[in-house]
Amino acid sequence: MAHAPAVAHGGGHTTSTGTENRKLLMWIFLGSECLFFGSLIATYLVFKHQVIERGIGPFPVDVTIDGVSHHGILDIPLTSTSTFVLLMSSVTMVLAVYGAQHARMKMMKLGLLATMVLGLTFLGFQVYEFRTFGHEGLNLTTNLFGATFFVLTGFHGTHVGVGVLYLGSMLAASFRRNGLGRDTGAHVEIAGLYWHFVDIVWIVIFTVLYLIP
Amino acid sequence: MATVAGTLAQPTHTGVWSWITTVDHKRIGVLYGVSGFSFFLWGGLLALLMRTQLAVPNGTVIESDRFSQLFTMHALTMIFLAIMPMGAGFFNYMIPLMIGARDVAFPRLNALSYWTFLGGASILSLSFFFEAPGGGWFNYAPLSERPYSDGSGIDFYVVGLLTLGLSSLMAALNFAVTIINLRAPGMTMMRMPVFVWMTFVISVLLILALPPLTVGLIQLLFDRQFGTHFFIATEGGDPLLWQHIFWVFGHPEVYILILPAMGIVSEVLPTFSRKPLFGYPAVVFSGIAIAVLSWVVWSHHMFTTGMGSVPRAVFAVNTMIIGVPTGIKVFNWLATLYGGSIRFTTAMYFAVAFIATFTIGGISGVMHASPPVDSQHQDTYFVVAHLHYVLFGGAIMGIFAGIYYWFPKMTGRFLSEALGRWHFWLLFIGMNMTFFPMHFLGIAGMPRRIYTYDDGLDWGFWNMFATIGSYVIAVSLLIFLVNFFRSVRQEPTAEANPWNAPTLEWGTSSPPPEHDFDAIYTVRARDPLWYDRDHGIAPPEVTGEHIHMPPPSYYPILIAIGITLLGVGALSHLAVSALGGVIAYYGVWGWALEPTD
Amino acid sequence: MAHSAEPMEQQHGLSPMQYLAIGAGLTLITIVELWVSYSGLGSLQIPLLLFLSAIKFAVVVGWFMHLRFDHRLLTQVFAASLTLAILITIVLLTLYWSADADSIRGYREWLASG
Ligand SMILES: [Cu+2]
Repeated sequence: MAHAPAVAHGGGHTTSTGTENRKLLMWIFLGSECLFFGSLIATYLVFKHQVIERGIGPFPVDVTIDGVSHHGILDIPLTSTSTFVLLMSSVTMVLAVYGAQHARMKMMKLGLLATMVLGLTFLGFQVYEFRTFGHEGLNLTTNLFGATFFVLTGFHGTHVGVGVLYLGSMLAASFRRNGLGRDTGAHVEIAGLYWHFVDIVWIVIFTVLYLIP
Repeated sequence: MATVAGTLAQPTHTGVWSWITTVDHKRIGVLYGVSGFSFFLWGGLLALLMRTQLAVPNGTVIESDRFSQLFTMHALTMIFLAIMPMGAGFFNYMIPLMIGARDVAFPRLNALSYWTFLGGASILSLSFFFEAPGGGWFNYAPLSERPYSDGSGIDFYVVGLLTLGLSSLMAALNFAVTIINLRAPGMTMMRMPVFVWMTFVISVLLILALPPLTVGLIQLLFDRQFGTHFFIATEGGDPLLWQHIFWVFGHPEVYILILPAMGIVSEVLPTFSRKPLFGYPAVVFSGIAIAVLSWVVWSHHMFTTGMGSVPRAVFAVNTMIIGVPTGIKVFNWLATLYGGSIRFTTAMYFAVAFIATFTIGGISGVMHASPPVDSQHQDTYFVVAHLHYVLFGGAIMGIFAGIYYWFPKMTGRFLSEALGRWHFWLLFIGMNMTFFPMHFLGIAGMPRRIYTYDDGLDWGFWNMFATIGSYVIAVSLLIFLVNFFRSVRQEPTAEANPWNAPTLEWGTSSPPPEHDFDAIYTVRARDPLWYDRDHGIAPPEVTGEHIHMPPPSYYPILIAIGITLLGVGALSHLAVSALGGVIAYYGVWGWALEPTD
Repeated sequence: MAHSAEPMEQQHGLSPMQYLAIGAGLTLITIVELWVSYSGLGSLQIPLLLFLSAIKFAVVVGWFMHLRFDHRLLTQVFAASLTLAILITIVLLTLYWSADADSIRGYREWLASG
């Protein structure tokens, strides 16, 4: 429930440790998400060699089995481009947070919009990649590379999608008469934490899945 | 219901709608507690059916498929729908009071956790009308896969647990933040009551242990619905991966079940011994040590899967090490009793019995840490005996201690001590009659989960003995229900601190007002009320300023309905999921825009 | 852990230009990563790739997510969770890739040979 910014109270504007309740909640939640993606990545790695041992393709990388060479299915130049797009969305996100915290509403709104557009572009790349793989004969049921790949990147994509919805809702709400209220800076910062986290998960996935042969 | 908790005495806050929209941690605590106890009775009924079937050789009460569903649903109900929510009931009611706060950090999120729990519990329990899951609570692959379980039972299991996991995650996030950030002035971490500490540890465990389970459940769901082969060996998958993922969650889960009871006992023993808990730092740090170690022992559930000798040795040693902090706790409880001026109330009976029965379960647990011994005990009734000594003799005993201890605080009324004695002794005797013979049965080779056994195996006597014991437990619970309903009908007579206890929840009226404390305490020592009493410090002065409490909200239940429909859609039609998504999204908007000042 | 109530933390961080510069730096590292992945550096390749992505990870967490400037507690929360996730992954992979796994493979072969 990354969506739910409840209003802090009870402690007034002070807390026992000085950290803001909602921000602390988001960080602990992201800690939980580390275990979620950690488990998915671990599953991918467990089956990585098994796929090649069983010899049922398509395979992630170029392999030669019994003298027959198979072409690796992962398209690294394409994914590098989408990685760059997601990286840039983190830059626009941090600018949106800067705008929100310094009462520069135009900067905030433009930042949110740009982040959404870049996020959607990333999702577009992913849809294209999934479709291409499908044409080349790789789907969920083909082999365990397909299963682990689609589930891992699919859940990452879902997180990007939720993030786009989250930012979009926030952008829409910012056009109300009193915008996001007096906590604008905190709201956008917490949304930013979520968005950056989705980005760092991709940094790991990009290295572990695509770059490491 | 409205009479159950006297909290609800305010005339403007009555009726069903006020319960549906409540964001008051005390009312949510009561909801959790009452739901959890109802499911406890329901899960107990399932167990009685099984014991009836097993009373004599070649029993004919229940046939084999139904029996599999019964033991699966008994375990799921007791773990996820009874012990965890009853623990959550105490967290909700007591944590803000014990740390001297006026509510949790996120009151609406708290309500959302409860309603989501109820949604997940409904999905799981209503499976009886279709097909209940029958793969055991740890639901091993490949039995849980399509080729072997074609019905909808396993799907109910997956969706039910995903929903319940989401609920637990939200609750745990809320309590972690509450305990970190909402402590009264002067309440340092090392001044927190042990129950608060244990709640904090459990929250952290839940936050970190639920994601692996979620991943495992999602993979199982994909195997069953979308044709992947994560856990199907013939297609290159690995059934053992499910075991690894499940027990990465499953072992911390064991401590999630037992630590609340340890926390409760650590409150009850000092109060009724009239002396502070012996070795407070040791108790706290051994609780933390247990939680940390629980991450590196999971494969002790897999000693017989051929992991190889080095992993077996490592996991065996790790598991045995957990015995050390657990032993430290037991000795500290005993030392708390030593030299105390003890009052034997019913709560104290349960707390002392907890030490004894939990220790028996703990010792048989250490036996399983040894791979050769474990290989003998694997899948026999010895394991059933062990886990019931820990969960019934441990968790349930602790929870009953908590019920008798905090009942005056929650309702302003006392449970009858005379009926309490009957309840205690019958429960204690019944529990040992039921579960102790299972050690013998296990060593005699009786496998767990069988629905019947042959006459010539010589298992008949102890099975009959255990069945009689289970009926004794049932009688004791009936006495408790009588006690409960008689008490709530009485006039409230409990003053603020009837037990003369040291912790802050006893520093406000029984039951507490909606805003918990008229004035916030400043904490000067570990046992604040005793410190203030001994140093002649008066309670904080009431300034009479307006105390703002968050208004009721119906968005939590709306979002919970949306989440539940998302799950129901996975069992029926995707359109239902889509509807659930829309409702949840609408609820989030309403929630975000709702004024809370 | 401080128990007295402290005022909420102040907003701090970098200027927009500095954020853009960090973005450029991250892009540069990504290009280096690509080069390393095609370079065929042998046994050095995987550690180097992991190292580079760890730098990117740390930069985003530290500066974009403000962890450098924020309360220490937040760093502790995240670092502990991340460590646990990595630890469990390593233990799991060790269980699968350890020498003992050969016995399982041997068992499979034995099964296959009838
Ligand atoms: Cu265990």
